[in-house]
Parts: sequence; C-alpha cells; structure tokens
Amino acid sequence: MFKFVSGFYCSIVNMERGHSSGVKTPPTRGVVQKSKNKTYQQSYRSCLRASSRFALTPALTARRLNTSRRAPRLHNITEKVRPEHLDILMKTEWKLAYVTPLYQFRHTQLQSYSRQLSEFIAAEKQQGLAVEVEGLQSSFRVSFSVVPGMTEADDDAETVLIQIHSKPMFARQDKPQKPVWSGWLTCINGNPDYLQSLPQDFICLPLFGSSGSEVLTRLVQSWFQQTFDCCFGCLEISETCLHWLAALWTNCHSESSIQRLKLIWTIPVKPVLQVTYTVNPQDAWDLWSDIRKEPGEENEGEDGRSVDIEEVTRFIQGLKNHFYKHFKLDLSAGPLQQVSTALGSAKYSGRIKISSSRYMITTLTLLTEGALLKMPI
Amino acid sequence: MAATLNLSGLTDSDPGLNDQSASSRSSNRSLRIAERDRRKNEAEDPFALALKYFSDVEAGTPVIGNDQFENNLVLVETVAYSKGLPPEGISIMLEFAMSLRMGNSPCVRVLKCLIPATVVPQEAVVRAVVWLCVGKIPISSQVLFIKWVLTVFDLIDAKDQLRAIYGFIFNFVTEENLCPFICHLLYLLTRKESVQIFRVRKLLELQSKLGRQPFLLYLLSLYRVFCPELVTLSIPSRMRSGFRNHNSPWKSALIAVQKKNGSQVSPTISLPFMTNSRKRHRHLEIPKLCSVVNKPAQTEPSFSRKVVPFMQLNSFTELLENLHRIELPAQMGSLLASSMALHYLDCVQDESALLRLNFWLGYTLHEEFLFNSDGGASQDLDEAQQFLNKLLFTQDFLQEGFSATEAFLYKFLRVWDGSLLRPQILSLLSNIPVVPSLKIGRLLFEPLMQLFFTSSVFFKCGLIECLNNMLSKWLSWHTVYALEDDLDISLNSHTSINMTLSEFKDSVMELVHFVGRLASVGLQLESYHSLLLSFILDFYETVCDTFVKYELPLIVMPPAGVFYPALFATEPVSVDRLAYIMYRYKVNLTSAKLDIKQKMKASHISRQTFYEFNHYKAIMVNCLWNSKMSEPDMGLQLKEELLCKSNIPEYWKSFDLINHPAFMSCAIDFHRKCWPRKRNVDLNSIKLSRPWTWYLQYLYSQGYNGLKQFVSSM
Repeated sequence: MFKFVSGFYCSIVNMERGHSSGVKTPPTRGVVQKSKNKTYQQSYRSCLRASSRFALTPALTARRLNTSRRAPRLHNITEKVRPEHLDILMKTEWKLAYVTPLYQFRHTQLQSYSRQLSEFIAAEKQQGLAVEVEGLQSSFRVSFSVVPGMTEADDDAETVLIQIHSKPMFARQDKPQKPVWSGWLTCINGNPDYLQSLPQDFICLPLFGSSGSEVLTRLVQSWFQQTFDCCFGCLEISETCLHWLAALWTNCHSESSIQRLKLIWTIPVKPVLQVTYTVNPQDAWDLWSDIRKEPGEENEGEDGRSVDIEEVTRFIQGLKNHFYKHFKLDLSAGPLQQVSTALGSAKYSGRIKISSSRYMITTLTLLTEGALLKMPI
Repeated sequence: MAATLNLSGLTDSDPGLNDQSASSRSSNRSLRIAERDRRKNEAEDPFALALKYFSDVEAGTPVIGNDQFENNLVLVETVAYSKGLPPEGISIMLEFAMSLRMGNSPCVRVLKCLIPATVVPQEAVVRAVVWLCVGKIPISSQVLFIKWVLTVFDLIDAKDQLRAIYGFIFNFVTEENLCPFICHLLYLLTRKESVQIFRVRKLLELQSKLGRQPFLLYLLSLYRVFCPELVTLSIPSRMRSGFRNHNSPWKSALIAVQKKNGSQVSPTISLPFMTNSRKRHRHLEIPKLCSVVNKPAQTEPSFSRKVVPFMQLNSFTELLENLHRIELPAQMGSLLASSMALHYLDCVQDESALLRLNFWLGYTLHEEFLFNSDGGASQDLDEAQQFLNKLLFTQDFLQEGFSATEAFLYKFLRVWDGSLLRPQILSLLSNIPVVPSLKIGRLLFEPLMQLFFTSSVFFKCGLIECLNNMLSKWLSWHTVYALEDDLDISLNSHTSINMTLSEFKDSVMELVHFVGRLASVGLQLESYHSLLLSFILDFYETVCDTFVKYELPLIVMPPAGVFYPALFATEPVSVDRLAYIMYRYKVNLTSAKLDIKQKMKASHISRQTFYEFNHYKAIMVNCLWNSKMSEPDMGLQLKEELLCKSNIPEYWKSFDLINHPAFMSCAIDFHRKCWPRKRNVDLNSIKLSRPWTWYLQYLYSQGYNGLKQFVSSM
C-alpha cells in the first residue's frame, strides 16, 4: 500500500535497567487523554458577573487541542526577532512547564525584577544570611529582557527571556561571568477567548521553558510564585502533540530537509522494550503527501491547506502499520516517547529542542495550546 | 550624676501610690475611711516598711554586716516568692537594684526576686533602661535585667514608652553578650516605623561579624515583614525554632505565683516561628503569608492611601480597625492558613484576588489528584486528607464553594475510584453550586451513575446523602436569593449565576429525577437494603417540602421504584417515614393550590403531579386502611389468578396496618395487651371499629407520628 519499503532502519533495544520505569505507564496519561474528550470550564467569565464570589458556574466553553491547524508557513521570524535572541532559543533543549497567569506582571519593570530575582537567589543560596536590597553585587546576575517580535496574535503578551550569569567559586577575579541558566515565558497564538476573559491585572504567559540547573529553575519558579502569585507545573508533551509535531515537521520536508524522522516507543513488556523507528525523510514525505492528496483538493492559496487531526492520525497509523508488517509488533501497545527530525526534537517528558527558526512559531503555538489545556480554570 | 537621678527616681516611683489615694479621695466617704484604714495598716505592715527602706536608703550604705538591709530583703524575697510583688514594689525594688545604690551584689539578688503579682509598670522598666545607659552595671547584671524584661514582657502594663526609646535599646545590639537578648526584646517591640535603613545596615554588619545567628535572622525577618524593600533573606528550615526561651530563672516562681493569685495574665513569650519540621508535600503546602514587594505604582500622589499589609495584623480587633485599607498578601492562597484571614476573605471584593486564589487552589488540586507528577497522592494520604479538610472547613466557613474546586471535581469524578478520600470528596461535591440543566448530565450524572452502580451499598448511601445535601444547599441558595430579589427592584440583577427561575427549576428537577432513577435501581440491586432506603427517604424528605420550606414552585413525586419498596418495607420506620413524606406532599400541594388561587397565577405545578399524588395516596389508604390490594390503575398489576396461586388466604389483607409485615408485631403486641386472657391470637378482631381506634392510638403512642399525621390529614 505504501511504497516506502526502501531504506528505513529500525533498532530494537532491550532496556536493561528499565524494568520498573518502563512498565509503569505514566499516571497522567489517562487523565490527559480524557481531558481532550471532555470540555473544560472557562470560569472567569462568569466570575466577573457573579454575585456569588467563590462559586461561579463556568461558561463551559470547550477548550481542547485544535483539531486542525494551518500548515507551518515559512515564517519570516528572522526579520522580526533579533538573531541573538533566536540563537539563545535554538541553542538548547528546553524543559517545559505551564504557568498560571501572572498577577501584576509588568513588562516595564523588568529592570527591577532582575535585581529582585538576583537578590532572591543570593539569599536562597546562602540560606540564613540576610541580604540588603540594593546592596553590593551578588554572585548571580539576572537579566530579564523582552524578546521583541516573538508574538503572533494581538492578545499574546510579549515573550520574556531570563538569563542568569554567574562566576564559578574559584574563578579569578577578572574572569567574566558565564551564563549558567536561561529560561523564557511565552504565549504564541494563545486562545483569544481565554486570554480576553482574564482581568487586566493578569498577564498570561502560559509556556515556560528552562535550561540549566534544576536548583536554579526551582529558585526562579518560587520567586515567580511569591512575586506574581502564580503556579508552575510540569508540562508533558502528550502523545497527540508528539503526533502533531511528527506530521508538521514532515510536512516541511519539501522546504527544508528533515534528514530523518525518528520516533521512539517504549513497549511495556518485561524487560522493557524500546523501539527506535527511523524513517527515511523521502519515504516519510511520500507517505505524508499521499495522505494529504487523498481528499482530492489542491492547495488553497499561498498558505497551503490546513492540516487536520485525521490526517495526522492516518500518518502515524501508516507508519505503525508498516512496522507491524515487518516485525509483527503493534506500536500502539506502548506510549510514544520521542519524536525527532533535523528541525527539532520533542520528548514526552516535556523537553523540546527547536533547531530551525522557521518552524519555531508553529511548534510554540502547539505547545502554548498544551500549556493552556493544563490551566486549572 | 547618680545622685540626681536617684532623687528624681524617688519622686517618680511614687505616682502610683499618689494616684491611688487621689482617686479614692474623690470617691465616697466610706471608701475614704476604708482607704485610711488600709494606709494605717500599711504603715504598720513590715513589708511596706521594707519597701520604704529600699526607696529611702542612701547611696553607698554598706551591705556587709547590715542587718537591717538583710532583714528587709529577706522579707521582700519571702513576699515575692509567695505572693509576688505589687506594681509599686516592683518599681521600688527595680529602681534600687539598677541604681546600684548598694553595689552589685544586692542588685543581682533583687533582680532574681522580682516576681510581679499582677503587672509591671512601664515607667519602672523605662527608668531601668535609663540606668542601663549610665553604663555602670556589670554586663552579667545587664543580661539578667534584659532576661527579666523578656520574661515579664507580657505583664508590662503598656509598651508605648518602651517603643519610644527603641533607638536606645537598639544601641545595645553591639554589646556582644547582650545582643541575643536585645534582639529578642527588639523583636517584641518592633513596629513598622522602627525599621530604618541604618538599623538594617547595622544588623547586616553584625551578621557579617557574628555569622548566621538565629536571633539576628529573626529580627531581620521581622524587618522584612515590615519593609520587604529593604532586606531579603530566607530562613533555613532547620533554624525555624524561634528565640530560645530566656525566662528560666523566674519561670517556675512566676507560674507558681500566678497560679496562687488566679491571675489571667500568662507570661507567654510569643514565639515568632512555629516549629514545623515535618516535610510537607510540595503541592499541598499553603503558601506563607508575605507582603507584596512590588507595590503597584501609585499614579496619583494625592491618592496615596495608607495601606496595612495583612501580615502585620495580629488580632481580630486590628483587622476590624484596618478593614478598609488592608493590603492583600503576595500569595492569596496564604489566606487559607488562618481563621482570621478567612474572616477577611469573606469581605474581599476584588475579583482578581479571588481569581488568584482560585488559580492556586485549582493548581494544587489538579497537581495533587489529577496530574500526580510527583508519584501519586497515595503516599501522603494523611496530608491530602488534611488539605481537603481545611478546604472543606473554609468552604463551610464562607458558605460557598470555590469555582476551582468545582472545575476540579468535574474532572476528578471521571477518574475517581469512589473510595479514595471518599468522605472529603463527597462533602466537596455537595458544595457545588447549581449546575445548568443542559450540562448537569454530562458533568455530574454520567460519572456519578458509573460510580453508583459499581460500588458498595455504603458508597450508594454516601452518594445519596451527598446529593441530598447538594439539593438542600441549592434550595437554601434559592430562598436567600429570592428574598434578596424581593428587596431589590431590578429583578435578576444579581443572580449568582445568571440563571432564571425556570432554569433553576429545571436543574433541581433534573437532580431529583436523577436521584429517583438511582434510588429505584439501587434498591433493586441491593435487595431493598434498609439503610439505603433510609437515605433515600431522607432525600425525599427534602424534596417533599420544596414549596413550603423553600418557596420553590416545584413539586416532584417519588418514582414507583421508591414508593412501593418504602410502602412494603419490613421495618415500620420506613413506612412511617413514607407516611410523613406523603403528609408533607399534601401540605405542599394544598398551599400551592391556595397560592395559585390567591395570586391568580397560572399553575406552576403540573396536573400530572396532583394526579400522581392522589394515586399514591389512594394506594396507601387502600393498602393500609381498607385492606384492598388491587385497584384498577394501581402502578403494579398482578393477575388475580397469580395471587390466588400463592395460596395466601385473603391476600388483599396482607398489607393493611394489622397484617403488614412491618406492623404485624405491633398488632400482636396490641392484641396481647388488649385481650390478655385470649390464648389464640385473632388479629382480625382488631378490625372491629372500637379496637381499631385503640389500635391506632397504640401505634401513635409507639412514636409513629408520620402515620398519625398522614391519617389525620386524609
């Protein structure tokens, strides 16, 4: 049925030490999937009208992952965003988290936030020593900055970049401080209904990425929690999201080579079986364009036809079927753990690397949706 | 210099006495006489004489070999350890000790016996601090003095003058030996205005010399509370034990004296930090109260209203005084931690603040019970339970549920196993506000139905009870809201959820029908378990009174699946309660009818309801009273032949008040009492008109009031 038998390669690895970790299906999965079938409440709308102030019957608008999205366009992001910022965003793999809306966050006060956060870190690092505010230089220098241009819709708040520089303990005095941690808060194409329903005091930057030591991440998060009364929670990239990414990246192959499409599954058997499935880019593209062609419509306009969830499911199912034909192993038995191409890689555990600036916006849009899904209200 | 101070000290330490006599002079004559007697006695009282000795003694009087001094001091010590010293005694002795009139050794001895009987005059303490500034007192005595002040701090009658000399006291922090105690004293005295940048710098400088000392940290942390813009720090968890208690030399004596005097003032030194060494679940931790660091920029300087951070309020009175200018804490979740904060939360009008609270609460519940990102809730059930109990307490206190709880519950019900934290979850569920009838099925009924039919009978009882509570809360909400609307001219201006009356009625009806379905099938499944039936009848006791008790023009009858099992139940209590419910239905329907006639309104109650009621009533009367079983339109139809086949003689009588399985034992009892000589029991003899009336009286006397009301209303 599919003509891409040629040139795929596959490795099956027995994970020696993965006995316990692999068998255990992540406890969140059931819930996350469920949440997609179920509509969510979006309750603050009624909050504003309610005389009953704690209880508000939700407006009950559906909030779920979009079932169709525009195919990634060639974004002229390089014209909008400064190259040094893009460099920072693309250089590393980010650990994702979702953030509830920030109360009284002002993009105009980043200077003072930088100061406060560095003092906070200094105080926390040497617990039990008080630090004078506006005192001497601490060993950590924090800088908050806006990333101009990193927005899409009108309701999106500007992306904020946080960097922490420090000097190693025993470094010479004249050595410059080195960046030890970086992170960002962003909102790309956030659900306008959700964003507009928030009162003015709140800034919604639901997606948080960090790279650097866990300790610093926790410190930054707790400073945000105390300062803006928000909460941070882990953001996994759900299986559906991973499917989307696989399809969207493949969809770009004609414009920018994906080099390979690599998917990793873990199959819950004893010992845990890890399946790495690497597909030749041309084969993946052929399969994808077959699926795309089927409805018989030609591209509508410049932007290209929007991609539908059904196409994505069929694409992944096609790949699985092919695997089954050869190895008699149904990959649906286990969770998809990782997707990677030359354009980026994403892991279920919530780590993402975006290697190409051109598809950054598309990827972040998807992730913003995922983060908004996790919002408690 | 010492001499001049000494003189002024004498005149100063007296006003207590002068004041007393002055006030008594102005009062009536008899009091004056009593006062004179008292003063006469005092003059002869050796203790008063001893005090007089200490206030008058010349500086430089030798101690060694001075018998008069020795005798007087022993006397004072005896009084101090037995009854405690009166305020003026404290003043005189403290003045004597701190002035070092007779050197250091009596000073220490006197300080050790300064046990107050009631209160410590503030002036005495202030004067003693002045003596401290003179700088002649040896350091050990200085430490002893400060320790004494700390011990009796709560007994000092006022603190305003002490606060006024905050700067003087602060100066002593540089004394290495005094520093820990001075820090504690400062901690007790500090107010916002005492926090100054130069003091912060001084303390930080000390910290760099002395290292991370707890006493410096606690003082600094208090400074941070008042002025977060001046100082930043974090207290390590193992240091959170507060100041050490420095009251040992006086503690036991003071407690003994206080106990003897029956005094209400307890010398508790407020410890600044609660000891909480137990590791908490990360998500379930209620944030600490902290004041906001980034104050919203004041756009208009004229509008610089003075705000009071919530953290600085210590009592309910302070809360009331500052209610109009309280600054919310940095994290709204922290308000859940104290009951005083809940009082305040009840008056918070700021929508953003409530939204912040809801975000935090929703996040906490989701992470803990739905996302389980740190290994599952099962490990720390205790903490989860405590947290939910706290949440329940809060919601009960505020008499409202939080929307975050509601949203969480809708999701949680779909993954709940029905047993994890059941009491808490069911109580939370009963708190949810009215759900629109369009959504109620999908949000509530679907998951609940699944849980109901797959769980034990006890869960079924619990769920019915929960739904009963939910219904009564909805109905009470309706009564409150309906009353408010009567006062309010613009109708529907502040309905809680933008719901019209008919929408509300729809929701209530959906709920009642839902419980009816659950109850019918549940009773069958559990083979008419009497406990379950009892909970179901509880529910219908709420339902039958909707019109009279809650003024809701809606009456829903129970389904046949509930009515017949209750009517044919084997326990008399159930039948009695059914009778009571039917009686209440009658009262409600009658008043509804009357209401319609009076107000010339269209009927809100459908004719079907009246029909159903009459139908049920007829069946009940026929069964219990007329010994007739088969009525043409009775809900359940059994063929005559089938009943005959059962070989039960006179089967139609099986469910009258005599032969009903629930009342048979009553009938036999009655029979025995009525005809004690009759050996064979003939229940039919009760049917005769006279014994029948007696029998009914007998039943009522057994406490079956429902039956009584039912029968008398028919």
